[in-house]
Amino acid sequence: MSGRYHRPHGWAWFLARPGYLRFMARELTGFFVAGYLVLLLVTLCRLGAGEAAFAQWLQELSTPSWMFAHVVALVASVWHSVTWFAAVPQAMPIFMGEKRLPAPLAAVVMGYGPWLTVTAVIVWGVLR
Amino acid sequence: MRTEQTMTLEIFRYHPETDSEPYFQAYEVPYDEDWVVLDAINWIKDHVDGSLTHRWSCRMGVCGSCGMMVNGDPKLTCAAFLKDYYPRPIKVEPLVNFPVERDLVVSLDGFMEKLQAVKPYIIRDDVNDTTGGEYRQSPAELARYKQYSMCINCMLCYSACPVAGHEEEFLGPAALALGHRYNRDSRDRGRAERLDVMLAGEAIWGCTFVGECTVVCPKHVDPAGAIQQAKAVAAQEYFKRFVMPRGAKGAET
Amino acid sequence: MAHGTTHQHDVVIIGGGGAGLRASIAIAEENPSFSVACVSKVYPMRSHTVTAEGGAAAKIKPNDSLEDHIYDTISGADWLADQDAVEYFVNEAPAEMIQLEHWGCPWSREGDGSVAVRPFGGMKIERTWFAADKTGFHMLHSLFQTTLKYGNIVRYDEHFATRLLIDAHGRCRGCAAIELLTGRVRAILGKAVIICTGGAGRVFPFTTNGSIKTGDGMAMAYRAGVALKDMEFIQYHPTGLPGTGILITEASRGEGGILVNRDGYRYLQDYDLGEALDVTDPRHPQKRAMELGPRDRLSQCFIKEMWAGRTIETRDGHVVHLDLRHLGEAKIDRKIPFVRELSRNYAGIDPVHKPIPVRPVVHYVMGGIDVGGNSATSVPGLYAAGECACVSINGANRLGSNSLTELLVFGAQAGRHAARFAMDNPGYDVAELEAQAEDEGARIRRTWFDPSRTGGERIATLRTELHDAMEDGAGIYRDAESLQAACDKVAELRERYGNVTLDDRTHSFNTELTAALELGSLLDVAEAMAHSGLERTESRGSHQRLDHTERNDDDFLAHSLAFRREDGGPPRIEYGPVTITKWPPGARTYGAESGLKRPRGDGT
Repeated sequence: MSGRYHRPHGWAWFLARPGYLRFMARELTGFFVAGYLVLLLVTLCRLGAGEAAFAQWLQELSTPSWMFAHVVALVASVWHSVTWFAAVPQAMPIFMGEKRLPAPLAAVVMGYGPWLTVTAVIVWGVLR
Repeated sequence: MRTEQTMTLEIFRYHPETDSEPYFQAYEVPYDEDWVVLDAINWIKDHVDGSLTHRWSCRMGVCGSCGMMVNGDPKLTCAAFLKDYYPRPIKVEPLVNFPVERDLVVSLDGFMEKLQAVKPYIIRDDVNDTTGGEYRQSPAELARYKQYSMCINCMLCYSACPVAGHEEEFLGPAALALGHRYNRDSRDRGRAERLDVMLAGEAIWGCTFVGECTVVCPKHVDPAGAIQQAKAVAAQEYFKRFVMPRGAKGAET
Repeated sequence: MAHGTTHQHDVVIIGGGGAGLRASIAIAEENPSFSVACVSKVYPMRSHTVTAEGGAAAKIKPNDSLEDHIYDTISGADWLADQDAVEYFVNEAPAEMIQLEHWGCPWSREGDGSVAVRPFGGMKIERTWFAADKTGFHMLHSLFQTTLKYGNIVRYDEHFATRLLIDAHGRCRGCAAIELLTGRVRAILGKAVIICTGGAGRVFPFTTNGSIKTGDGMAMAYRAGVALKDMEFIQYHPTGLPGTGILITEASRGEGGILVNRDGYRYLQDYDLGEALDVTDPRHPQKRAMELGPRDRLSQCFIKEMWAGRTIETRDGHVVHLDLRHLGEAKIDRKIPFVRELSRNYAGIDPVHKPIPVRPVVHYVMGGIDVGGNSATSVPGLYAAGECACVSINGANRLGSNSLTELLVFGAQAGRHAARFAMDNPGYDVAELEAQAEDEGARIRRTWFDPSRTGGERIATLRTELHDAMEDGAGIYRDAESLQAACDKVAELRERYGNVTLDDRTHSFNTELTAALELGSLLDVAEAMAHSGLERTESRGSHQRLDHTERNDDDFLAHSLAFRREDGGPPRIEYGPVTITKWPPGARTYGAESGLKRPRGDGT
């Protein structure tokens, strides 16, 4: 009598389902968001250190490798945001009487709408 | 329609009295486009090998007995049609993330304990007093929890959850969704009691929102959504308890 | 098969479906010091109560009356119901339903927050509570989840009870049960026992019933000397999906669905079931008429249409069409979403756009373990409730939506009476009962695991032959010849049952062994059904004899009682009185003049 059989857990569990890979992508893209925040902090520090330091910092950031890193971070951050906007309706259901606001609409109301608005305000502020 | 064609089922076998390791056994079954995987397994049990062991009952997707891994996906085998796999072979395994009792039968002991832990029943003082008639509940109040009451305990969500497989303390999708169902029921007064359970250790915080529980749920319960909502409630509660310890609570009144 | 340990409780309940769980709670609530064992061959939430769809009847609305519910039930039963039992049932029903509401059942609601009701077949007024079209599912899970709050309910999940344990004084004191995981036979002892094991639809090939509904409890009581009552009354539900037998709920007709034959004609109007009102008429669907006639009549009409060549022939037999299209997508999704899901998945039909093919399907056994007014059987300390029991409130034909309520009312009643018996009859001889359980373990080992047993019969072969014999012999219409053939075939199969050999002679989770034991139950139950049918030479409710087409109250306003013979011969059939109080037998009319009969002496 050898009793119940426990199946082994492998380290590569995230390869088992496409959904797990999507989950890993969502979590890993979070690092880019965090990384970009650090970058912004550094930028602020340089700004505080004086005009020369800031100008030099901007100079460094315009090298091709930094530009490439920016593009990658942008793509990752957008992807990360999209996954969260997709999740928001699940985590925060909005009811109107018996009817629940359909997920795509809820994503617009709670995610894409405010995102685009804030972006538009910033763009307007910068380009003014 | 039954034809002369056949197809192959490769079935996970394990017998606790004789096997130290599981193995796969291939069976040739008649191909009928109206058949579900469960029909094929029953056919094998009836006509070829009486020792093949599985659970089933209603064969209409509501008793929750016949969940298995079908080509690596957790499925109700009464709702998985052969025609969706034909002519390739179908691999049938017991649900993952559970100990295997024998062949396709897994142990539900852990789930039964977790379900009981979330106190899945109405908690209020007058619950056994029927003299005042039914509790009133508007269709809108009903709608707030109805989806989470549809769980058939089929365990597919635990098989799709990478955390449930690794973290013992995690209560898991179905149990948490049912706890949340009662928390959202307008008739219930037991939310604080349930949150005590949910706030402990990894009980709810183990969830990293992979979301596959919702993908595989045959009854569209959306346990992933339920857990995130429950986390938000639990977080508020946690914060309240953190900034307002028991003494402060008394001072409020 | 090692013999297992002994477990002592106050009351033992066999079966974890609606009735068993309700009984468990009744005892746990009223006797907090009692230990209640709930023994079930499956986890409670797998029990067949889970598949019930349409609803549960109880008077709740001011426009309804208890008396109307009583009259509908009695006339629906073709006057074979015991009227005192029906009165008790109807009177208790509202409080039981409210109790379940308090326990969390998500009943569908009216705008004002009160529970909603819908019309159902054979009912004069809408009184069926519903949780969309998964009423049984929600009731079962609400009950099961509620049991989790009681520390004194001890569950024996996946324990297959095989024998009742009877003490030297003839009192039932527990059961022997195989623990599926290990194969050990356990003695589960108590001062009283309640059987709540459900029906036996699996005697027939085409049934809405799940695989677990094999009449084990009926057979266990029958073997212990209790009569099986009114077993000839088998309910065919008029609307099952061809092929699978999956139920399409009567609620689909309660919400306005219509039945049409191959010509698109609402054929029920040709069979004294009233006028076919247009589906746009505000009076449609009319209660106690047409599509809302009782199930026995509707299933019989189908057969007559088939004989007249007006049904539709398919690979899975003849069908008619259940047309819901005029209800519209919104109403279908709101009121009967499961009907849409099942039709799409298992018939490839979306009822929003196409009619659903349906045919009559075995659904319910009106008969069962003979119990009296307090759910007690003839064996002291043994009680029964739910589909396995025959009180009788269902008589010759059960009305849709009475059975779920029956689980609650009589589950609770059986629980209370069993608890009282346990209090009045405290001690029992553990050694004596343990010895019986050990005997049972030894019998199972000897019968099924003996290497010299090589008869070579397969379970599936016998089961298929039983199915064919019962469908041919004891279907919607029967006669002496067909029933005799069924009796003979069952006797032959009982002989051959001794030659069944198992592929699997191991202990752990041996589901081939349980399938063999279930086949034994099916054979016992089938025997009682066929012989009771043969002896009843009249037509009443669901028992329609082609050779005796009229109801015969002079000879057969009586309950049949089938007693098992120890020598293996055919059962002895006796008859017991039907309790008639205020509602004398009358003509059973539906359609225009339906439901107008008033009780004697009521002055109207």
